[in-house]
Amino acid sequence: MSDFKNLKTRLKIAKSKLDSRSLDNADRKGSFMGTAFKLGTELVAAVLVGTIIGFIFDSWFGTKPWLIIIFFFIGSAAGMLNVIRTAKKLQEEN
Amino acid sequence: MATNPMQQFSVHRIGPEIQIAGVDISFTNASLFMVISSLAICFILFFGSREKSLIPSKIQLITEMFYNFIAKMISDTAGSKAKPYFPFIFSLFMFVLFCNMIGMLPYSFTVTSHIIVTLILSLFIFIAITIIGFIKHGFGYLKLFVPSGVPALLLPLITIIEIISYLSRPVSLSVRLFANMMAGHTMLKVFGGFVISLGMLGGWLPLSFSVALTGLEILVAFLQAYVFAILTCIYLNDALNLHH
Repeated sequence: MSDFKNLKTRLKIAKSKLDSRSLDNADRKGSFMGTAFKLGTELVAAVLVGTIIGFIFDSWFGTKPWLIIIFFFIGSAAGMLNVIRTAKKLQEEN
Repeated sequence: MATNPMQQFSVHRIGPEIQIAGVDISFTNASLFMVISSLAICFILFFGSREKSLIPSKIQLITEMFYNFIAKMISDTAGSKAKPYFPFIFSLFMFVLFCNMIGMLPYSFTVTSHIIVTLILSLFIFIAITIIGFIKHGFGYLKLFVPSGVPALLLPLITIIEIISYLSRPVSLSVRLFANMMAGHTMLKVFGGFVISLGMLGGWLPLSFSVALTGLEILVAFLQAYVFAILTCIYLNDALNLHH
């Protein structure tokens, strides 16, 4: 039984040590590259989706070059919006 | 001597060719490694949850760590409403994590370095979350695309931008995981090729690089599984708690 009590106090000490050290900070330091990559893909993906939608609409309506150009720019705007939102979320976390 | 660094990503058939209605569903090395990672997950979780001792064994500790990690992540990002979706996010995280980690072993195949695998995963999440959103909010879910406080003149444009931004979610989710895994594994192979081509004299520098890169790749393998799961939670949060 004394062994068990011993473990309990040791657990308590370890837990208080864990709380004082901010665990999240260590996690976040390693993920800077991940964050940068996240923002990049966010921007590219929206441009890609916008352009694909423009391409599909062009072949539906037969307005060959116009809709793909328009949707490319709308997709870029959506990409910017995504990046701004992600960055805002990151700032809230920090 | 120089081998093609992209060789490691080739999918080839194992066993007989199976065709159903013109669709090739033969068992490949990709399917083999998916089965291996699923079995590894089942193995660890089964033996980890068999003994429920107060002072946990190592395998029980690992299992409980995974459980706590995901449970905390879900409650932090998506709130208590997302509790019923725990099994889904847990299996998603475990599958991606084990596919990435098993891909780090020599002579193995990285399933998540193929865009079709990650795209199917993220499309499944995307469609499921859209359906959940419509079930929870009905047509009110479409309010997600119409932000409040926008002048009427700009509203159609903003709505189109919001829709494209929504549709880009599965693309960015899948491309991120796929690109990270493929770039990392290609880089490892390229540096490994340098070691052989530079020989005993100059090969030590790329060898030390590739040791460091292996460490980095293990970090990336974990991080990408985490990012995949946490973004699923964020999207789920958008669908469950609609606020704009």
